[in-house]
Order: sequence, then C-alpha cells, then structure tokens
Amino acid sequence: MTQFHVNGRFYDIEVSPDETLADVLRDKLGFRGVHVSCERGECGACTILMDGKPIPSCMVLALKAEGKEITTIEGLGSPGNLHPIQKAFLEEHAFQCGFCTPGIILSAKALIDRKEPLTALQVSHALDGHICRCGSYPQIVKAIMRAADSQKKELRHE
Amino acid sequence: MSKSGSLKIVGKNIAEKDGKAKVTGSFQYAGDFSIPSMAYGKILRSPYAHARIKAIHSESAQEIPGVLGIVTYRDAPNIEWVAPYNNYKGLIMDERVRFVGDEVAAVAAVRKDIAEKAMDLISVEYDPLPSVLSIEDAILCNAPKVRAEGNRKEPSVTAWGNLDEGLNEADFVVESKMKFGSQQYAPVGTNACTAKWEGNQVTLWTATQTPSELKSIVAEAFQLPMNSVRVIAFPCSSSFGLWWVNNFMLITVLLAKKIGRPVKIELNQYESFAGVKRRHLEKSRGRIGCKETGDIVFIDVEHIIDNGAYGYKSDVGFFSCDLWGRSPHGRYVVEGVSTNLVTAGCMRGVGDVTLNAFVERLIDLAAIRLSMDPVDFRLKNHVRAGDILRKGTGYWDRVSEFRGKKRPSVCLSSEGLGECLRNGAESFSWKEKWSGWGKPYKICGSKYYGIGVGTATHCCGIALGGDVSALVRMHEDSSVTVCCSMSRHGQGSETTQAQIAAEALGISADDVKVEAGDTEVCPWSHGSISSTAAHRTGFATMQAALDAKRKILEIAGKHYFGCRSEDLELESGKILKKGEPDKWIALQELLSKPITDTGTVPTIIGEAGTCMPPADTFCRHFSAHFAEVEVDIETGQIAIVDYFATQDSGTVLNPKILESQVVGGAILGCGFALTEELIFDDKGRILNPNFVDYKVFRSSDFPIRCPVLFSKTYDPVGPFGAKGGGEGPTCAAVPAIAQAVYNAIGVWIDIPMKPEKVLRELGRI
Repeated sequence: MTQFHVNGRFYDIEVSPDETLADVLRDKLGFRGVHVSCERGECGACTILMDGKPIPSCMVLALKAEGKEITTIEGLGSPGNLHPIQKAFLEEHAFQCGFCTPGIILSAKALIDRKEPLTALQVSHALDGHICRCGSYPQIVKAIMRAADSQKKELRHE
Repeated sequence: MSKSGSLKIVGKNIAEKDGKAKVTGSFQYAGDFSIPSMAYGKILRSPYAHARIKAIHSESAQEIPGVLGIVTYRDAPNIEWVAPYNNYKGLIMDERVRFVGDEVAAVAAVRKDIAEKAMDLISVEYDPLPSVLSIEDAILCNAPKVRAEGNRKEPSVTAWGNLDEGLNEADFVVESKMKFGSQQYAPVGTNACTAKWEGNQVTLWTATQTPSELKSIVAEAFQLPMNSVRVIAFPCSSSFGLWWVNNFMLITVLLAKKIGRPVKIELNQYESFAGVKRRHLEKSRGRIGCKETGDIVFIDVEHIIDNGAYGYKSDVGFFSCDLWGRSPHGRYVVEGVSTNLVTAGCMRGVGDVTLNAFVERLIDLAAIRLSMDPVDFRLKNHVRAGDILRKGTGYWDRVSEFRGKKRPSVCLSSEGLGECLRNGAESFSWKEKWSGWGKPYKICGSKYYGIGVGTATHCCGIALGGDVSALVRMHEDSSVTVCCSMSRHGQGSETTQAQIAAEALGISADDVKVEAGDTEVCPWSHGSISSTAAHRTGFATMQAALDAKRKILEIAGKHYFGCRSEDLELESGKILKKGEPDKWIALQELLSKPITDTGTVPTIIGEAGTCMPPADTFCRHFSAHFAEVEVDIETGQIAIVDYFATQDSGTVLNPKILESQVVGGAILGCGFALTEELIFDDKGRILNPNFVDYKVFRSSDFPIRCPVLFSKTYDPVGPFGAKGGGEGPTCAAVPAIAQAVYNAIGVWIDIPMKPEKVLRELGRI
C-alpha cells in the first residue's frame, strides 16, 4: 500500500513500481483532469503540482509521490466555485480545445504563488514547458496577468 | 434579417459554454470514455513503406491469457471506403501495406498491457516492394504503383480568359517557384474510439469533426442500414482536420464485431504523428503578368501535392485564385500524386496555406518589379463583393454533370479585405515602417528587422458535397436544444450556434443547449470542416429556430389569442400581441399546457427548411496579417517581434471566440512558415514524430500581444451577416512572415524558414 496525498485527501492504494503518477492519478484515483498526451514530458498537458512545484506527471513514477502533497486541477476549484485563475481564464477566453488548460492553470498557480512581481514576458517564457496547439498563448498570458493582478489587490486588502 | 446594430445576443462576448468544464478539467474527451466489459485494442503497424503481406502468424499471440481476438485484412470487408474530400480512399486493411505505420492487424485483450504484449507476438512475413517517397519519384514513368489507379490523379483545373492573350497584354511577366515541407497536425491530446455491437446495432464513441460522415461510412463499409449506426462524438482536442473519419475508427468497429464485446482503441502520440495523416508535401511554379499601372493581367500556376498512401485529392481548396480573380485571365492547375508516405489530407487552410503563399509570392515579385508598396498593390487588385468567383466554376461543373442544371452566375456575397488592409496598415503604422522592398527598416548589430503583409481568403463551407442541417427542439419549460452535427474542437461553435438560436427565438443564450455529436438526434450534416460551422451550420440553425418560432406563434394565434400569427411577436420568453404590450403569455405556459382534447402538449421541432442561395457556395472570409520579424544574420534565427491580424468574417458572432480563432490560426501559420516540418528518411520513416524534434510554436515564440481588428462587413446571406473564419488566418500568416523576412535580409527563404536555410541563402554556410 502506498499513501497518496491528493487535493487535501489521503488515499491508500496498491501501485506497481513501473506506474507513472499520471496513470495513478487518472486511472486509479479518477482525476481525469490530468490530461496525458505525449507521455514523455514534452507537452506539459499532464502537469500537476507536487509540493507546490509544477511537474509533468507522466515523467514521475507514482512511488516517488509518496509523502508529497499533490494538487491536480480538481483541487483548485469546481464549476460552481472557480479559483481566481480559472475565472481569469474563462473571462479572457484563454483556451480553445481545453486539453492543455488544466496543466497551464496549475503552472500559472505555481508562478503566481511565488508572489514576485511578474511581467507578461516572464509569464510567456514561464509557459514554454506547455504546448497550446490551438495557439491561445496571448490570451493565456493575459489571463495569468489578470489573475496575478487580482491576487495582488487581495493581498493589499488583507 | 436585422443588421448587426439591433442584435441582442449575437455579437456579444458570451463566455464559452464549455468553458467552465475546460478550466476545471471536467471536460470529457474520447480518451476519458469507458463502458462495462470494454476490451482494449492495439494496432500492429507496418515497418515497411511498401510491401505485400505474405503471411501473418498470430497463434502465439492468441494463446496469451486475456487475449480476446485478432483481426487482419482477411476479416475486413472488401469494400473501399472514401473519407470526406478524398482524405482516404482504400480498404480498411488489405494484403498490401503502403506506408510505414499502415495498419496490418489489431488485437483486443482484457487489459491494455496484454494487448500490447500480444501485438508484439504477432509475426508478419513481408515481401518488400519498391517504394515512392517523393513527388519527384511519384511522377517518373517507371515509378512503382502506390495505388491500383496509378500515382497521378487527374488534375483539378480552374481557368478563365485566355493565357495567350494575357501574355500579349502584360507589360511584364515574373516567374517563380516554391517548395513546402509537410506539416503535422501534431495534436496535443490524441484520440480514442470505442465501438460496441448489439445485434446489428453498432455504436461508436470517438472524437470527430464529422459525426454524420462517420455514421454514413460505417453503415456503408459494414453494409448496415443507417439506423443501425450511432455515432456519439466527443470533443476533439486540437484537430485542424485530423479527426474526421479515420481508418482506426473502422478497425475498432471491425475488432468489436469480431470479439463480440465493446472495444476501445486509443492512439498514442507516435501513432497520431505517424499513423493517421499530415499536410501534403507541395510544390508550386508559375508566373504573373502585369501592366505598368499595377493591374494584374494573369496568374498562371501549376501546383503539385503528394497524397501519401491513402489520400486521393487534387481538389484542394485553392481559393486564392478568387482573391486575384479580377485579372482577366487565369489558370490554376493542381495535381495530386500518391507516395508511400503516411497519408496526407486536409489540414487547416488546405491548399491556401501553400498555394496562397505562392500566389502571394508572385504578387510580391510583381510589386517589387513595380517598386510598389505591397499594401497598395493588394488594395489595387483584390476581389470585391459582386465579382464573379473563379473557383466556383470547377465545383459547379462537376455537380452539374449529375444535377443537370445550368451553373448560376456565382458572385462574391461580401468582402471586407480592403477595409482590413487599410485599417490594419494604419494600426500597424505600416507607412512609417515601410522602407522599401528588401530593405531592413532597422539594424541592431547582427539583427535585421523587416515588416511584411500577407493576405488570404478561404471558403465558408462548401455547399455542393457539404450539406448541413439543424433541428431546434423546444422543451416544455421553454429551454431549447439545438441539434446540429458538428465538432467541438475549440472553435466555440456550441456557443455561437446557441447565440444564433437565442437571437432568432428572442430568448437567452443560457437557455440554449447545443447537441452536436449524437447522430441519433442530429440531422445529417457535413460537420465542422471547410470553415462551415459559423456560416452554413449557423444558417441552418437560424432557419430551424425561425421555423420553431413560426410554429409557436401559430399555436399561440390559434389557441390563445384568436388572431393571425403575423400579429404576434416572440420576445424575452413572452408571446406578445403587436401593439398591445399588455396582452401576452409566457412561452413556458404555451409549451407546457395541452392544446388538444387528447391532452398533447405542443411538440415544437424547428427544421432548417430554407436552403441557402446557390451563390452562397461561394462566400469567402478574408484575412490580412501584418508582421515584424527580427533576423539574426549570425545565427539565422528568426523571431517574430510584432504581429497584427485583421479579419473579415462578416458579423462577428462572438468577438473573443473569433479572436482566438484568428490568433490561433496565425500561430499555426507562423509555425508552418518557420519551424514545422516532418522529416522522412530514405525508408519513408518519420524521423521527428515527437514534440522535441518536431518544433511547434510555444508561448515565447510568438509576441505576448496580438491585436485583432475585425472589418464591419455584413454578409447578406450568412446568419445575421456572419461568415466563416477558421482557416484564412493560417493562410495569411505564411506570406506575411515570408515577406517580412525578405524585407529584413533581401533574400527569399524556402518554407519552413529554418536557420540553416537562412544562413545558406545569405552565403554564410
């Protein structure tokens, strides 16, 4: 039995040594928002947060995730209760087919959570691990800047 | 129909209906689907570009516990199937393989890993045959035959006027040629197909842009009546034409039939890159004749494309001939040839991404000869609304053979390209930056900067061979389902169709659901191909909504108001008597209460009974793009530093949705222009079937901002004045970048303009 800590809950399940974290999250734990495409860490679609850092989950063996805090897109918000980054993506229409979207939103979260000043150019470069084949990059950058701005405002209010 | 000024829902930035599901990761793709007792299938693929199968030994694979069955060509029906627009023409499997990756057998097992293991144990004896791996080889008279029909398909010709006269009339003639690499759809997110047989009923769950076509083809291939086939289409991830009707879907059906259980085949990234289809390898040559005044007298182009193994096209959509169709003479000849490379097919902007780039090159060369600004030259010569369209001639002639009708005069219904060019040039500060042909407007060390403009047009669906329909079903609480067969691959059609229906019905777009994938409820439709959805499907949706409205008002007049339906109006969910605003009933009341003694509630299903006018076959959308590039003459690297897109899609149904289509299209075109190219080795294998070796644009490859300007065009035929828009932007990007690079460094570079080609052309390597 291996214990996984995903989106705030604990799961004890059997995994084999050759299973990837992406497979376990999708197929054994049902987090279908973990989108797998290239299976070699090139496209970024399966990105999740491990202890707050974005990683392609297809490149990590599941056993390596034991004791780590995992966040998938399902851990951010739900259709009825969107996370501010998800809201910004919706408002800026920062997606087309939506396949790369969960991974990019999680990378954006890690970026914004650093709480450092961000320029649009930095955001653009920070997304280079992801492929949005539909080509929504300018809208994605805009949405992330918008979400970062709203977080800054929130911080000021606190 | 009302002009865009009085519209309430069309034209508004309504958030995409699928948006919340997409940003929360709950949006379902074909790979997410499963059903009880489902088996997993894997496809064994050919290692040879061309071979005859001598024997297939599958005994040891069959013996593995958990294997449920294997299919080979012996199990396949002996019926050739043809994909939309000849994107595939062949048997599901036969005793010959025609490209590396061609399907040889498929195995089903209770688990995916068992299916993979079994696949490795199938041994195939091949008799390798000589293969054809390039356009040049395909046309040799002693070339091995890829297909029984021969390697060369009858060319598709569009010609008008008289070229000899054109040569006499022209003050000068400029010639050129170009060669293009093959672009891969390179989908992020692959596809899966699950098929289930119950008696003679077969159901397929897969991602497709053409659910109706898939239904028809499965019915034909397996000799079933159409009511025995049901397709439930999932949204595609990035598709661009990749997922229409693909052979692996038919193999899944075959496998499910053989094992008597539902089976799912999910393609991996390699199979999506190397086993389905790609953009054609293409070559153009031709000439342009002009007057010293800058008027084009003729354009004469010969274009050749490779169809790969199973494509069978020569009718690529080269609508660029219409863009300069004002010239009195013209000739466009497109020939398709077969090769033993992976099948080639229609990818976003097919024909116009390449052939248009070449025509734009001719246009540029003529403008250079005249020392004329490229924007001015385009403004002088581009097509106008009301002009005869040239491309139409080919289509209509073919169809008239069996319809026996005379071709009506086909004129362009609307045009906003001039507005796009003028306003775009102003916003881009074109005049300030323009420093003349082949001259950088700025140099910083080894970095040379140039600007470029590119124009393009493409169809808005094709009527002949691409019929569309829609149904609008009213529910008892006055919510609405629009049933129209199309795809949801990111172009926001489920939202824009809802906007059209809501506008026509006088209700909120929130109350409209769009069912696009289930062929059991959607009428037959051409699907989301050829930039069809906004214009042609939108027209059908609007007609169906108006028909529903008419039926509602008839019932209201007869049963509630005792007046003619013409005296009633449907507005904000209420039926009102015109001129008597206090007399009304709620739409919900009418729809939920019985209207006859037998107690039937009104069944309102609006149908798209009105056909689009024939001229609409020849509606076009237009794009004009402006780019600024930086070329490093030390490294050959090209960077796009500024980009400005303009678009004429008629009335804009939803600005944010169309904007993302335009920008996304531009980025795909920029990728084709600069980095994307499949590399084949001398055995026909693809050497770069992955995202490291095949370079698609990433975020920092494109400017962080890309303004989009829409023309204020209103199309007299389209729904509320709307036209298509998905493909033109890809086509305009390629010549804009090519011209900008030329203006930066003074030499033309072949596409894709990779650094080594830049350095070679500059004589630095």
